[in-house]
Amino acid sequence: MARFVARRLLYSIPVLLGILLVTFLLARVIPGDPCRAMLGERATDQICDAFMERKGLNEPIWVQFGIYIKDVFTGDLGESFRFGRPVTTMLLERLPITIELSMAALTVAVLVGVPFGIISGYKHNSLADVATMVGANIGVSMPVFWLGLMLQYLFAVVLGHTFLSLPPSGSLDAGLIPQPFYAVWGLPAWGIFDFFSNMNVLNAALSGNWEAFRSAAGHLILPALALGTIPMALIARMTRSSLLDVLSLDYVRTARAKGLPEKRVVVRHALRNAMLPVVTVIGLSLGTLLGGAILTETIFGLSGVGKSLYDAITSRDYAVVQGFTLVVAVGFVLVNLVVDLLYTYLNPKVRVT
Amino acid sequence: MTGPGSLVPDPLHPEGPLPTGPLPEGADLRGETARLPETRGLWATAFRELSHKRSARIGMVMLGLLVLVAIFAPLIAPYEPTQVLLGKEDVRPRDPPCIHLFGCDDSKPQHILGIDGNGRDEFSRLIYGSRVSLIAGVGSVAVAVAAGTLLGLLAGFFGGRIDNLIMRVMDVLLAFPSLLLAIAIITVMGQGLINAMLAISVVTVPAYARVVRSAVLTVRENDYVAADRALGVSTSRIIWNRILPNSLTPLVVQATLGVATAVLEIAALSFLGLGVRPPTAEWGSMLAAERNQVFTAPHLVFFPGLAIMWNVLSFNLLGDGLRDALDPRLNR
Amino acid sequence: MKRWKFLALLAVLALVVAACGDDEGEVTTTTGAVTTTEAPTTTEGATTTAAPTTTGVTFEGLSYSAPDCTYGGEFMTIEAVDALTVRFELCYPDVAFRSKVAFSAFAIHPTEHLEATGGGGDALISNPIGTGPYKLAQWDRGSQLILTRNDDYWGTPAIAETLVFRWSTEAAQRLVELQSGQVDGIDNVGTDDFETVAGDASLQLIPRQGLNIFYIGMNNTIPPFDDELVRQALAMAIDRDRIVENFYPPGSSVATQFLPSAISGYDPAATWYEYDPEAAMALLAEAGYADGFDVTLSYRDVVRGYLPQPAVVAQDIQAQLAEIGVNVTLNVMESGAFLDAADQGDPAVYFHMLGWGADYPDATNFLDYHFGAGASAQFGNKFDDLTAVLAQAAQLSDQAERDVLYAQAAELIKQHVPMIPVAHGGSAVAFKADVAGAHSSPLSNELFAVMDPGGRDTLVWMQNAEPIGLYCADETDGESLRACEQINESLLGFEVGGTATVPSLATACDANEDLTVWTCTLREGVLFHDGSTFDANDVVMSYVVQWDAAHPLHVGRDGSFTYFPGLFGQFLNAPPAEG
Repeated sequence: MARFVARRLLYSIPVLLGILLVTFLLARVIPGDPCRAMLGERATDQICDAFMERKGLNEPIWVQFGIYIKDVFTGDLGESFRFGRPVTTMLLERLPITIELSMAALTVAVLVGVPFGIISGYKHNSLADVATMVGANIGVSMPVFWLGLMLQYLFAVVLGHTFLSLPPSGSLDAGLIPQPFYAVWGLPAWGIFDFFSNMNVLNAALSGNWEAFRSAAGHLILPALALGTIPMALIARMTRSSLLDVLSLDYVRTARAKGLPEKRVVVRHALRNAMLPVVTVIGLSLGTLLGGAILTETIFGLSGVGKSLYDAITSRDYAVVQGFTLVVAVGFVLVNLVVDLLYTYLNPKVRVT
Repeated sequence: MTGPGSLVPDPLHPEGPLPTGPLPEGADLRGETARLPETRGLWATAFRELSHKRSARIGMVMLGLLVLVAIFAPLIAPYEPTQVLLGKEDVRPRDPPCIHLFGCDDSKPQHILGIDGNGRDEFSRLIYGSRVSLIAGVGSVAVAVAAGTLLGLLAGFFGGRIDNLIMRVMDVLLAFPSLLLAIAIITVMGQGLINAMLAISVVTVPAYARVVRSAVLTVRENDYVAADRALGVSTSRIIWNRILPNSLTPLVVQATLGVATAVLEIAALSFLGLGVRPPTAEWGSMLAAERNQVFTAPHLVFFPGLAIMWNVLSFNLLGDGLRDALDPRLNR
Repeated sequence: MKRWKFLALLAVLALVVAACGDDEGEVTTTTGAVTTTEAPTTTEGATTTAAPTTTGVTFEGLSYSAPDCTYGGEFMTIEAVDALTVRFELCYPDVAFRSKVAFSAFAIHPTEHLEATGGGGDALISNPIGTGPYKLAQWDRGSQLILTRNDDYWGTPAIAETLVFRWSTEAAQRLVELQSGQVDGIDNVGTDDFETVAGDASLQLIPRQGLNIFYIGMNNTIPPFDDELVRQALAMAIDRDRIVENFYPPGSSVATQFLPSAISGYDPAATWYEYDPEAAMALLAEAGYADGFDVTLSYRDVVRGYLPQPAVVAQDIQAQLAEIGVNVTLNVMESGAFLDAADQGDPAVYFHMLGWGADYPDATNFLDYHFGAGASAQFGNKFDDLTAVLAQAAQLSDQAERDVLYAQAAELIKQHVPMIPVAHGGSAVAFKADVAGAHSSPLSNELFAVMDPGGRDTLVWMQNAEPIGLYCADETDGESLRACEQINESLLGFEVGGTATVPSLATACDANEDLTVWTCTLREGVLFHDGSTFDANDVVMSYVVQWDAAHPLHVGRDGSFTYFPGLFGQFLNAPPAEG
């Protein structure tokens, strides 16, 4: 087991290096002069010479890569040429929003997908099963942006003046400045606290501000629904097939033969093992969520990493592109690693070897 | 996504990849002739299974309709997709649908789905959009399959360092959210349908490389392959006669499902303004163009989205059905 | 704070200048410590030091001069005569001085804050300090900008205690937010939504006068637009009536010239080329492009009063030009990058769609800004006959004489076709019916301090996009200017919902007879949001950091300070033009 863990960790390192390489090349491969791209066309030759010297852009490419790695490890992700602000600051503001959105989407996906998958798997080939599978298939086939627009129409216009209405965009009610939770608790304003205070729902919950909580949660429902539909479908399918697999195994038959109540058979014996792959699917869905976040954030006007990254790419804001892509990719790899380890830990078959 | 030796099941294929076990009895081991008798039998069986499964039937019908629409688009669509009707007909942009059958005045020109924001017939654009979707989806997957097969063969066959290197590169590719990487690639290469297809190919290669590699690994150690080598059969014949047929079935399943993903990605890229160039009629960009009219002219947003869903769903159902039909494990 | 550092820096700078001797411009403090160089000082009679202020501390007024007027700009001297008087000496008469000075880019900032933030960077653009009715409370980047009432405001305090800026690029989004009650007012009601809003009793639709122009720009240094015949051919190939009729809201009009009709200088007799595709093709053949040519049309997918539907119009232009054999590829760019590229005359945007909304109601804001000698490189090389006429007209004070010259300018523009004027876009804002004092400004200068959001204490305004920065001096985008002008004020202001200038931080700005010397009397007792006193030195400093390109505080957000040379001719110590 420990050897497996060590091996997985070791495998991640070249992948991480590869990610660094790709993000490094990304900026240098996008057409245009790096100095003019960073400082604008107004930069004179003199300014650019100094800039190239300072950034080590006159060095051979591997030296530059080394400098880039060093910068990354000292936490210097550069400065946004468009906004004039450090990339790390922008990350601190935007990453929490994307994470919160992804978490909300995942919650929706699990809360809906798992029960439906269980029902569907248990009542194999019944109407419920067919309906769920049809629904799952449709869910997996829907373009996120279309779904988002349709949801907006439904909840903001059609149901606009009913109690079911939901705000179509934004993250908080206008004018609401919720206090960061660390201020309420009297904690120092460390970066890590700031990071979590930017997650509106979490922050509101932590500071006991129920008005802000309601507002933040209300604004998060539609985007979470839109983003979570595909993972929801995947989780439902996975739960169903996993349960089906488990239910056909011998020990379940034995349990039934022993005369145990059906509920006990399913919950105590079957589900526990069936959930194993589902746990990993949940973890892996995080990756798809990050990709879908770009579209969801654009439609619902949430300023998370996805939307900022898209804006940065189209406006050639290289530092932001590099920094954000790096963080997203590394996060992805870490999540996969954790999921892998988790699965290995939970799966008794593997643990024994 | 997860390294080699990972035990985590693939979320998209919870039932697992197809096992590629030893060939059935009676297979011709001489290897010189390309066709193995059971292979054809396998496909015939598969088709039979497929047509029995209801969801796969539906998928095939949906896809068939789509392909027919794409082929006969000039006959079905009343107008050219890029034809601006302002000044030629008495229409204004975003005019509501006029269907003579449902009571619209006969003097007005018929536009089943109305006029889009630029004064073009929405229905014709919807019809012609099927061509772009199908070509983009199938095309990008074809390129990805070709590249992935090559990489998978290299990795599985030669093993060792090469295998490690190739799989690491695949892992790096998988480390980035696919849409993001596609956006970045297009930014480098420039906008356009071909570039978008290439970008999606690059992003989806790892899945196919994996499938082929695992097929190679399974087959490589088999006795008849050893026998082939002992007989001095050339590597290329081994690949062609033993390895490829074995990897064909999971590859086909993966590719079918991959087309579904590719269609979604093309639509997403066009929605973000990075896919096809205007005035090409493509469902994603049609959605994007009318985004603002979702509350006042929702039909202009609803139908392109529905069309995308139809396309994706048909490939998904077909792929699922193929997987179930070609999997000898599931006893029906 | 760091005042001593700044003065030391100035002293060093002065010494350096003295040593080198060929830089223009110098600062003198009128306490008598005049540093001499080879260039003669031109501060007139300015050895008077100080008028004692009420606190008994002598006031050391700053004065800044150009050595002469050959540098090409409007200012000769900017001087703080005493604590409450600023004098501007101009190189040439400027009849529109009051309007220019009222413009938001020339808002006044406290000297200490400029020094403390280094004149730019995140510290200043995210945290401006001004004198306005609202001050910055919090800028929640990406979601909202929150301002709170300045209770120590020198004028009538704002009615709503909190002012919130929100944004969405989609008109449908904005309308839904308004209809659902989440916001109190929205900008740029969608073209198809005018009727919806007008018919809704809970909303009010307020049209905005179209003091704008939408045009198709061409860079005459890049082929094929280096050939005047080609530009003229395209001028005939665009069916502008079709564009306005189909893609613009009520209240819009087809443009016969660059100026909108409400700006004096507009020539009612001027006409543009008739839509004549055959003649266009003939001209193209004559120019050697009988088979047409390929071209890329760049634009930003951003809604403006002059262009409510950019993507749709771009595709229509594409379809129209296809009919004369010109093959158009569309290139959508991000807004900031697009504006920067256009400003710099970047070859990548050699054929582009852009427009202009009035900052102040004078022909110089339209014509001089785009075609004058100090204009940017957007259209390539300037036309000497055109710049000459415009320069002449800018220096006259008699409107009738100016009108004659502007008519000539319109004719020259038609001949040279630096761009093709298409439309003057009508637009509208919409508010909830219970917002009293709701108005639209023809200059997009809505003043939220006078609006009462139905008795509520928060006024929420939703515009097209997020402000990029809040340091007005280095912003050009209306979305940024509308936000920063609630916080920072200029010497003069514009009347609510109109274009006439009214007193603001200056109670009056009076000119001498030939409009070359303007003296502004400042308002007494005004405080900045941080409590510091407003005086003439702040005014001088706020202007000088823009005026002098070599000043250490000439930093801003990206350092362009585009409006300064656009309105006042040229920077002092301007960097040499790129080869």
